[in-house]
Amino acid sequence: MALIKLDNVSKIYGFGDATTVALDEVSLVIDKGEFVAVMGPSGSGKSTLMNVIGLLDRPSQGRYMLENRSVSRLRSNQSAKIRRDSIGFIFQSFNLLNKLTVIDNVSLPLAYKGISQSKRYKMASNILDRVGIRSREYFYPPQLSGGQAQCVAIARALVNNPKIIIADEPTGNLDSAGSRLVMELLSEIHAMGNTVIFVTHNPELTRYATRVVYMHDGNIIHDENTVIGRVAPRARKVLYTLPVKSIDDDLAGVSALVKAIEPKSSPQKKNKRKRKTVKK
Amino acid sequence: MKLLNDGQLKSAINAFRNTKLRNFWTMLGVIIGVTSFILVVGISEGVKLQILGQVQRIGSDILTIRPNNIQISGSSLDSLTLLSGINVSGSLSPNDLSRVANTKGVKEVVPLSAMTAQINGSGGSYKKGLVIGTTPNFDTLLNQGLSYGNFLNSTSNMVNQVVVGSQAAVDLFNEDVPLGQTVLINNQPFVVRGILDPFPATPLSSGAEFNKALFISYGNSEQMTNNTVTTYEILALPNDPSQALKVQKNIESSLLASHGGQYDFRVLNQDQNLKSSTAILDLVTKLVIGVSAISLLVGGIGIMNVMLVSITERTHEIGIRKALGATNRQILEQFLVESTTLSFIGGLIGVILAYIIDLVLRLFTDIEPSISVTIIILALIISTVIGVIFGSIPAFKAAKKEPIDALRSE
Repeated sequence: MALIKLDNVSKIYGFGDATTVALDEVSLVIDKGEFVAVMGPSGSGKSTLMNVIGLLDRPSQGRYMLENRSVSRLRSNQSAKIRRDSIGFIFQSFNLLNKLTVIDNVSLPLAYKGISQSKRYKMASNILDRVGIRSREYFYPPQLSGGQAQCVAIARALVNNPKIIIADEPTGNLDSAGSRLVMELLSEIHAMGNTVIFVTHNPELTRYATRVVYMHDGNIIHDENTVIGRVAPRARKVLYTLPVKSIDDDLAGVSALVKAIEPKSSPQKKNKRKRKTVKK
Repeated sequence: MKLLNDGQLKSAINAFRNTKLRNFWTMLGVIIGVTSFILVVGISEGVKLQILGQVQRIGSDILTIRPNNIQISGSSLDSLTLLSGINVSGSLSPNDLSRVANTKGVKEVVPLSAMTAQINGSGGSYKKGLVIGTTPNFDTLLNQGLSYGNFLNSTSNMVNQVVVGSQAAVDLFNEDVPLGQTVLINNQPFVVRGILDPFPATPLSSGAEFNKALFISYGNSEQMTNNTVTTYEILALPNDPSQALKVQKNIESSLLASHGGQYDFRVLNQDQNLKSSTAILDLVTKLVIGVSAISLLVGGIGIMNVMLVSITERTHEIGIRKALGATNRQILEQFLVESTTLSFIGGLIGVILAYIIDLVLRLFTDIEPSISVTIIILALIISTVIGVIFGSIPAFKAAKKEPIDALRSE
């Protein structure tokens, strides 16, 4: 069953000469229980895609069905309630409220649901226990290490038992130990049957995913299923931050990606905008 | 709706703690407004109570007859022009005194005449001392007690006796109890017969003046001034307190006849007396309440500005909260609770400050402000309402932020 169904979704910022197409008629279907990694160079529209899926942003065009319900034209309060009940966010910069304790941070989504304080503290404690950081309940976020802070953020994303976990570069600010901790946690969550979508620059992290989506200039240019435990075959070749070596490489390193996907064609041609329909 | 959701109150208090100093300056307008409001109303009520207390001590049925200004061509601004309107002060004569005394229903009358005189005592002198001529029943009518000796009696005018005010007793004599001492009033010797208790001090009455006055018999005062003494007040006590209004009318018509139909006098009962003495007080009170209203307004604008700055600073926080599922209304509530907490605490500090100033006033002045619970509650309600009103614009602004834009700002 399709949990998320994007149908020719576009997102356009600005107007006139300053128009930026962040998403260009993207179509994507994600089923329940998938663990999707989204890769692509900076500015390729990964975060915009996450924001649209997470109902933080509204698509300019196209249709977005969440659990067979059209959510592309919701009023802000309706989408706030869906975010509260069905979606858990994990951000690169953790986005914890520094003035609240760990347990208050984690129980915040429950507070907006109107659950009593004692009950939400209990639920938050349980979740913190699950992510293994219960001993830090009454710490403030600045007192935690990056890995711990991201664990708290994951606990916060999980506390309302969401249908989708959206993680926008969850390991971007973490060292290798922290990244490992966070990814192990995410795959545990996935193993329990949750749908997880995450953005990453690190090809090694695709070993946790069941599917990798590659983006460029607002398009999905490749989409493949992978095996858990193995790095996606093309991902390792696509190190977007590699220095450019020839005139054929563009600044964002997209030619490396294009080469990786279709090694036989010449990079010049593939530099043109290329759209692939998504197969699933 | 869970407006006072514990989480929101908690976050309001947290936000408050983190910016203590700025919040204090923000609240200052509300603090000053609330303090001045409470104090002014308290002082005004207190003074009224004191005057009322005095009236009740004297007896509420006493009628007061005073000279009145005859004014032709109304406005008092005329006194600023060269050809002023005619403004003549009337006066009361001994004839009026006997007319009042003979009016039907009047039990007792006490005239009060005033003159200034050079006064020399054994221990000091007044250059322009106040000498009041009155009758022996003055002290009983006004319930005025004596510390030592007795008040004047019917023979006092023949033997030149004087009763001195409590302060005058200290100023003019060497002895603590100058009974039997001689004092010269315009070089005429008088023997001290009694010393009065201090007149009850009220901020707006002339109690302090009376304490420095010398009281001689009405007859003496007439004789010393060749019958030209100014009678500035006649007090009349009706036989039957319930008939006071009727007696007041009788006196009025009787005097009007003798004054040739001119209202150059006034007959006031204690109610009217009270009103005339509190009229200016009421005016000043209203004025200062107006000023404190402006202060509250400015305080409210201050709160609004700080809240606007605060939501700009905390845009990212708003983004996070919205991403986690806060609805516009919940964000609105959060900031409304915050601004209301701010102004309520301001009001609370204002109340405390008002009590401190009240204490200082009581310790160091004669003013005894009467701060009622109603005023406190009113002040707190006003400060809360200010928080809601002036907090609503920033709160709406915060609530309307798009989650994605708010999240992007750092």
